[in-house]
Amino acid sequence: MERSPAFYTWVSILVVVIGLALYAILMSLIYSLEVFEFSIHVIWVTMVSNYVFLVVSSTGLCIVTSLGHVFGMQRYELIGRRGVFLAFITIIFGMISIGAHLGHPERAMIFNLLTPNFYSAMWWMGTLYTFYIVFIAIEYWLLARPELIERSDQAQGPLEIIYSHMAFRQLDHSRLGAVLKNHKLLQFVSAAALIAGLSAHNTLGALFGHVEARPLWHGSYYPVYFLLSASFCGYSWLLAVSIATYKIKKENIPEDYQSLIFEMAQVLALLLSIGLLFTAYKMGFGLFTPEKVKPIMLFLKGPFSQAFWLFEIAIGTVLPIPILMWAAKQKNIMGVLIASVMVLVGVYVMRYDFVVAAQVYPVIKNSLPSYLPTFMEVLFIGGVLGALFLTYVLGEKFLPLKEERHH
Amino acid sequence: MNKAAKKIGRRHFLKLLAGAYAYATLGSPGLAGAQITRYGKLADTTRCIGCKRCMSACKRWNKLEVERNELVSDRETDLSAQNWVVVNLRADAKNLTQRIYEHWACQHCIEPACAGVCPVKAITKLPMGNVVINEKKCIGCRYCYQACPYKVPRFDFEKRVTRKCHLCYDRIPLLNYMKPACVEACPVEALSFGYKHEMILEAKKRVYKTKNARYILGLKEAGGTDMLTILPTKPEDLGLIVAPKKVVNHNIDKLRVTGAGFMGASALAGFMYTYATLTRGKEKKNRDNSD
Repeated sequence: MERSPAFYTWVSILVVVIGLALYAILMSLIYSLEVFEFSIHVIWVTMVSNYVFLVVSSTGLCIVTSLGHVFGMQRYELIGRRGVFLAFITIIFGMISIGAHLGHPERAMIFNLLTPNFYSAMWWMGTLYTFYIVFIAIEYWLLARPELIERSDQAQGPLEIIYSHMAFRQLDHSRLGAVLKNHKLLQFVSAAALIAGLSAHNTLGALFGHVEARPLWHGSYYPVYFLLSASFCGYSWLLAVSIATYKIKKENIPEDYQSLIFEMAQVLALLLSIGLLFTAYKMGFGLFTPEKVKPIMLFLKGPFSQAFWLFEIAIGTVLPIPILMWAAKQKNIMGVLIASVMVLVGVYVMRYDFVVAAQVYPVIKNSLPSYLPTFMEVLFIGGVLGALFLTYVLGEKFLPLKEERHH
Repeated sequence: MNKAAKKIGRRHFLKLLAGAYAYATLGSPGLAGAQITRYGKLADTTRCIGCKRCMSACKRWNKLEVERNELVSDRETDLSAQNWVVVNLRADAKNLTQRIYEHWACQHCIEPACAGVCPVKAITKLPMGNVVINEKKCIGCRYCYQACPYKVPRFDFEKRVTRKCHLCYDRIPLLNYMKPACVEACPVEALSFGYKHEMILEAKKRVYKTKNARYILGLKEAGGTDMLTILPTKPEDLGLIVAPKKVVNHNIDKLRVTGAGFMGASALAGFMYTYATLTRGKEKKNRDNSD
């Protein structure tokens, strides 16, 4: 696959898509931010929903991988490297997405440090995600280091130098080198990443939950639901990406990996069922809360009903549950892949609806503002997702992402 | 005269001074005490004739762009990064013959939700009462727009910052306590500016004396605002956004929401631990089989 024409075609398509996104960013810098998401009333749109989708996925991946490294479930260590690498790249591209949305991202970095507002959920989110990125990067490096050392031993020429630098081989004979080999350190860093990730994720939910002026967002529901949706997002990402990788590379999935995949499929089905209960609670509770009725009705009968019933409920939750159960029973890998991709599509649409619908109501004079993504915005989002996939493809080619084996 | 001078001696004066200082630093209920020195703006919709001179004066003072036909009377205008004050014709839903010109701008909440959510403290409530955005600090996240119960701060796509009325904070103390540009420009005294407590009294007096004026917007909405508007009827009948009659985005509410999330996170960690513990046997069996 890696030297086949199909591989190069895919990479060139991704490069073109990224180029178009860079063009969109350039246009926004030259002219104004108007080329992206221009709306007076609906002021947070695709880039914010894309950011939410990616960072929720990242936390979810961190949650799933920590089952192995923090909670000691050895079978989950099989997906450790791939999961942590995915968690790292999804958070990075999520941050790029929000960076393009912000008017002045450079000021955000400076004034976050100089004049913090401890009462703002956004400040906590930014700060905690910074810690999370650092921890998740260290976690991946610790996971990859043994194989990087192995690769530097086997490689020759410039590759050997690159790999040995990446593994910091100069530490090999030092006391720090011995500490790095200790499994406890990995466990500690993974736990730190999990705590930072969960806290940051909680503040992301709280960022929306604090906004009393937006009845759909306000309340304690979203901080809790975000954690649940992160979990099923994480499971879906890992299942979809690892199965797709093996299928595209035309490699056989090892037996223990297969049994883990089917176990994960069952857990995903369980999480989706709980998610369905949460959605039913949100809708039911919303209908009996006077200030939430109108935004809830936007989903049930209004302009967002198609996206809600078709994508969020049918494709994202209800249909994948029986498919996953059936596939886990019949040991059908393709079934798991299809169901997990369906969940991801459903969740993506869910994020968009969640962000946009809340801003549609309330507005002045009872008229509903509408929003349609601009062409440049679509180019940018396509570029971010394209760059995410390209980074994964390059990671798969050059970095150790395969399952860990304890000898 | 001599008797009075004897009454307030040096010692007594120092005691009073120390007491006042201690009261100001330790025991003063900050916002209520500040009300005496805080300014307020009063808009009387029953007097407004819709000439839009306030809009034009605001634009001139703050160097904002003017759109074509924007300042034509009766033309509907929305708040924007270039429109910090708008005047629009509104009809009472219950009595369509009742029409007023509504002067709308930032309400300058006593406890502003926008300042509470700004991650970098770019929005401040000045002791004078003005809620001001520091445009050199604003990161352009637009969270203030989401949090504002009146949807006032608008994003400037050119400058990439959020902008809104600052109640001419740059005129009040610097230019010999001049009134805000809009108030100065009003030809019929529909707009007044002065100490907040005086504005409240004035508004109540007008409601008591004028036949048409029935409602004072801003006494309780969003926990009280430093801009008061006299309306002929309730704001919901005029199609205005109705803010809750309490402080919006109170810190205790924020704490409640965040706390629920942390409880959820702890529960999730608990489930993960239980999942790991319950399936430990399965793992051991797998390992034995592979051996």
